[in-house]
Amino acid sequence: MTSRPVTARAAGTDGRAALKHFTRAFGAAIVVLVVWRVTTVGLAEGYPASFWISQALNGLVLGGVYALVALGYTLVYGILFMINFAHGEVMMIGGITGYFALQFALARGWMEGPWAIVVIALLTIMVIGMAASVLIGVALERLAYRPLRQAPRLVPLISAIGASLFLQYSVLLIFGVSPHSYRKPALISGGLRLGDVFIPYTGAIIFITSILLMLALYFIIQRTKLGRAMRAVAEDRATASLMGVDVNAVIVVTFMLGSALAGAAGVMLGFHNTVVKFNSGFIPGLKAFTAAVLGGIGNIPGAMFGALILGLIEAVGPSALGIPTEYKDVIAFSLLVLILIFRPTGLFGEVLSEKKA
Amino acid sequence: MTALLSLQHVTKVFGGLTAVDNVDLEIAERSITSLIGPNGAGKTTLFNCLTGLHRPEVGEILFDGSSLIGLRPDEITDRGVARTYQNIRLFGRMTALENVLVGQHLRLHASHWSAVLRTRRQQEEEHAARESARALLRFVGLHGREEVVSTNLPYGDQRLLEVARALGSQPRLLLLDEPAAGMNPSETDRMMELVHRLRDEKGITIFLIEHDMKVVMSISESVAVLDYGEKIAEGTPEEVRADARVVEAYLGPEVAVQETAGPASG
Amino acid sequence: MALQSAAGSIRTGLIGFAFLSYLILIGIPGRIGGSALPVLALISALFFWLNLRREAAHHLARNPEQGLEGDEGKPGWEIGANADSDRSSLHALLTARPGTALALRGLLAGLTTGLLIAVVSGIFAAAMGNGVAIQPVLDKIVPINVAALIGVSPGQIVQAEVSFIRFLLQILLFAGAGTLAGLAVSAGGSNLTTAARSGFLAAHVSGPTLGSVGRFAGIALPFVLLAYIAWIGLPGVTAFGTNEGTVRLLLTLIATGSGLFAVRLSRPGREQRIVAVLLGLGVVSMPFILDQFQNSVMGLVFIFVMMGLGLNIVVGYAGLLDLGYVAFFAIGAYTYAFLSAPFSSPYISGLLILMGVSPDSPLLGYWMALPVAMLTAAIGGVLLGIPVLRLRGDYLAIVTLGFGEIIRLFMLNLGELTNGPRGILEISQPALFGVSPAGVTFGLLSSQGWIFLLALVSSALVAFVAIRLNSSRLGRAWFAMQEDEDVAEATGVHLVRTKLLAFAIGATFAGMAGQLYAARQINIFPENFTLFVSIDALALIIVGGIGSPAGIVLGALALKGLPEVLRGVDEYRIVTFAALLVIMMIVRPAGILPSARRRTQGTDPDEAGFDDSGELMEGLVSEEQVAASPGLANGKEEVR
Repeated sequence: MTSRPVTARAAGTDGRAALKHFTRAFGAAIVVLVVWRVTTVGLAEGYPASFWISQALNGLVLGGVYALVALGYTLVYGILFMINFAHGEVMMIGGITGYFALQFALARGWMEGPWAIVVIALLTIMVIGMAASVLIGVALERLAYRPLRQAPRLVPLISAIGASLFLQYSVLLIFGVSPHSYRKPALISGGLRLGDVFIPYTGAIIFITSILLMLALYFIIQRTKLGRAMRAVAEDRATASLMGVDVNAVIVVTFMLGSALAGAAGVMLGFHNTVVKFNSGFIPGLKAFTAAVLGGIGNIPGAMFGALILGLIEAVGPSALGIPTEYKDVIAFSLLVLILIFRPTGLFGEVLSEKKA
Repeated sequence: MTALLSLQHVTKVFGGLTAVDNVDLEIAERSITSLIGPNGAGKTTLFNCLTGLHRPEVGEILFDGSSLIGLRPDEITDRGVARTYQNIRLFGRMTALENVLVGQHLRLHASHWSAVLRTRRQQEEEHAARESARALLRFVGLHGREEVVSTNLPYGDQRLLEVARALGSQPRLLLLDEPAAGMNPSETDRMMELVHRLRDEKGITIFLIEHDMKVVMSISESVAVLDYGEKIAEGTPEEVRADARVVEAYLGPEVAVQETAGPASG
Repeated sequence: MALQSAAGSIRTGLIGFAFLSYLILIGIPGRIGGSALPVLALISALFFWLNLRREAAHHLARNPEQGLEGDEGKPGWEIGANADSDRSSLHALLTARPGTALALRGLLAGLTTGLLIAVVSGIFAAAMGNGVAIQPVLDKIVPINVAALIGVSPGQIVQAEVSFIRFLLQILLFAGAGTLAGLAVSAGGSNLTTAARSGFLAAHVSGPTLGSVGRFAGIALPFVLLAYIAWIGLPGVTAFGTNEGTVRLLLTLIATGSGLFAVRLSRPGREQRIVAVLLGLGVVSMPFILDQFQNSVMGLVFIFVMMGLGLNIVVGYAGLLDLGYVAFFAIGAYTYAFLSAPFSSPYISGLLILMGVSPDSPLLGYWMALPVAMLTAAIGGVLLGIPVLRLRGDYLAIVTLGFGEIIRLFMLNLGELTNGPRGILEISQPALFGVSPAGVTFGLLSSQGWIFLLALVSSALVAFVAIRLNSSRLGRAWFAMQEDEDVAEATGVHLVRTKLLAFAIGATFAGMAGQLYAARQINIFPENFTLFVSIDALALIIVGGIGSPAGIVLGALALKGLPEVLRGVDEYRIVTFAALLVIMMIVRPAGILPSARRRTQGTDPDEAGFDDSGELMEGLVSEEQVAASPGLANGKEEVR
């Protein structure tokens, strides 16, 4: 019979009218509550506009990093329908490796050299971090996921949880508990001042780099033969393999791409947060996954925008609602819960469903 | 005879596509009615509207005088409408008997507390449910297959098991979505015989979608034809067979002039 | 062809090297000390043995007509048909002189590993001799570790006095290990052909069939162990010197676990009932026999059994993947904490003073608080269940995970109510008729023993309820919902009610477990309720065998009990556990003691297909699958 988009199915189950009314009322109540809180508390604090702008810029930077990690989740999910729970750790490994590369460069004095050397060194550090992440990502796929491809869906999830713990605590055992602190070279430690708004160089660089990397990924997926193969496998693995696509190779490449982006994110997050340690991939990984779900998991532009939105809300939310910043994680997760209740396919789920329909 | 099920102006739209377009239909109690039409004509969608999976935008569905619109699928089943699926959807890891027991879910009333305490009443009810499930399996011809996990059953038996599961809810109207699809001739004969017995012995009204014209013409008392979501013909098999619009819908306008016995659409 | 087989050996050697260097980096040699080198060689021998064995089995599977001892293999291997054109020199050697061929391969692999290990340890030793501090970078690379690896004293490393001979010895040792492994494989040749026939994994999955002697021994084992545990508890008796506490704990874990197997081994009917009752008595007597430490571990194990049983209802029976299960555990724990130690919460004590009640003593005792905690958790379950009713699969997983985190963050940040990270302190212990039985019953029952006993009884109760529910119509509805939600609804299952019941019952059990946990801990803090509790609970039901209560007990023993035994090597606990989790999923994904339903699945590999039952198995049909119309729902049509 005719195949229909996801929303049609959701509309089809609206026999549960009471539940729908309940969720609608619930949603309306939350919107009212948030608006009331923002207008009476957040805006009443009288922060200057520059404060909001710098918060928003902060959020964009964070969102850029989340986006890189979220893309890894979304790519793997799109093809294997599994949550690569260890993806945050892949990112952390990139950060740790980047730290050592940075130490090496610092010891050689390259970070005080002419700006061309510094830029090349920084790029090399990022590439080394990416390479390490790719290595771990591919090993992960080969050892922990590939043997489980035919298994029911809970099994690879548990395996991924095991792998995540294994990576975290191996790093703890090998490199110790204490955080490793990134030292920014003088060239990028300053910032740009536009009126009252201060933009740190690292923030700007991180945001631009992540946008560039995302564009590169988008190009690979939309314009290259490899990307076409990836999309084919995501649509229908069996048919793609019948059409002569090497499914295993595509899956490996998917992991490589996702891990490379995560590695870059790991290094940049290292510069942003100034420290990396064994568990510093966990919460960002969780947030990035949230972002991927927010945008509709499996949907690449969705992951990017989901991450930017999440970063923005996380940065602006606490001040806007007039609550302590400790609650920024609560805001992030509540947002996720709310989005999924009202749009179970994510914010940009439509794109996905049209493609699949 | 009074109409057990009556559809009035039922319309279902997906996006821009009108899958079911202003369909009126009456199904008499204890009748066997077939719904035919080319692929994509909206037959299964109509079934989905009847069982509450979709809610039609326009129209009214009356079952035994009361409306089914807006009811949940389980409520509709409770009223006495049960169905099978075009591509078999059994509870794969359950045994045949368990599948039928799930079908009886609505007809069992022991509380969950009594299940924990295994009260006498609950035990009796459970025992009776098992007995009647066995009887249903016997009725459809699956005697001795009670403990077989349903995915391990042969294809034809899986179709029969779907019927048995549907019977578990003691329906008055049974919707069969292509019951003979993919069956060999002897299995098809078995299924047709079962359909007759369902009506004759259990008094269940049958409404079925079928592509095999031999089946349709031999078992149905009346036939309705859908094309592009619209009902284009209705009547006895002979009337429908002779209807020019039906032939056209199946074979396209060019060939419509050369009348043939039955379309080969599958 | 010979080259190819040599490349294979070198590859084996490289993997062995990677594995060993991991062990070196995390500091295993330093931990073992003087005997590190032989132990590592032994480990690598084991690794080579496994690898060569698998390779040889693989090889024989491809060439079934030529067994190692020339016995007739069964025809019918898929690839066997083109075996003739695929005769490698290894194959020729294997059939002519299998011992030599395998030993050679082992030697080559061992040489590769040994050479690389020697180079790496040489570099470390040289660097340390030159005064380079490696330790700040690689935490565990200290002179002791490197010295143990080479078999010298740490002083020699620091002074760069390691002779070349040492490295040569190292290489020879690993080469010898490889050769030995090769010889061992060829010696065990007769088993090999059978292993080849049944396939490596299949041999593990189907499990051994025991003769009557084995059966008897299996049934007797837990009783013997229980008797031994009781005996070493007697005053004056020691086992293995000072380590008695852990040894006894380990034996207790094994006794409980093997008891479950014993029940399975015994014949259904009278024999099984007698064995079960006797074992039950044995286990119930344990709280009186064990000491405080062992009891506290066993108490925790059975608290997690309760958690597992509850989560099993949600995940195993109803197929709703819940990663935020810790929320209900926390709700139960904090509810009891507030009732029992209101003085620890600034807000509640303030409220009580306003109401004119003294906050200095518990508001409710353990038993009066039990229904409150259970009810609160159940309400929590329903409240968190309502919004996620429409979600499926991974979305459900991530939203519940979010819920768990939100609850934890609130506990951490609502300082007024929960006292924040400072926690709720001095929660009172459960008492019976106004007195705490601990210490009163002839001084036999320690306070932790009392908790253990309570946990044991409660989990038995919970298991009873869970099993009864599962075999009722509610259990069938859950399972039907897990298999196919839409069809279940159309068949007459009220989805909202059925789902919420699963959430509520699961949450109730978690609330009970949480309350007992609070009583056990006396002081609770938000960090007791992290995501890892959810993961532990999920992991234990999956390791044990999802859907099977006996498996859950086994899973809890393995995941919560064993790590405590490994306390001595505390730092390696989590990596070992994590690696085991991954290996377990690969080798035996259905769990140690799978439920009957899983077993019928496991025997037929075709059933685990990705698109069909693999998807349906957990009821985790993704939205994409749902997007297809019911007419194309799971692609079966294409298969037919």
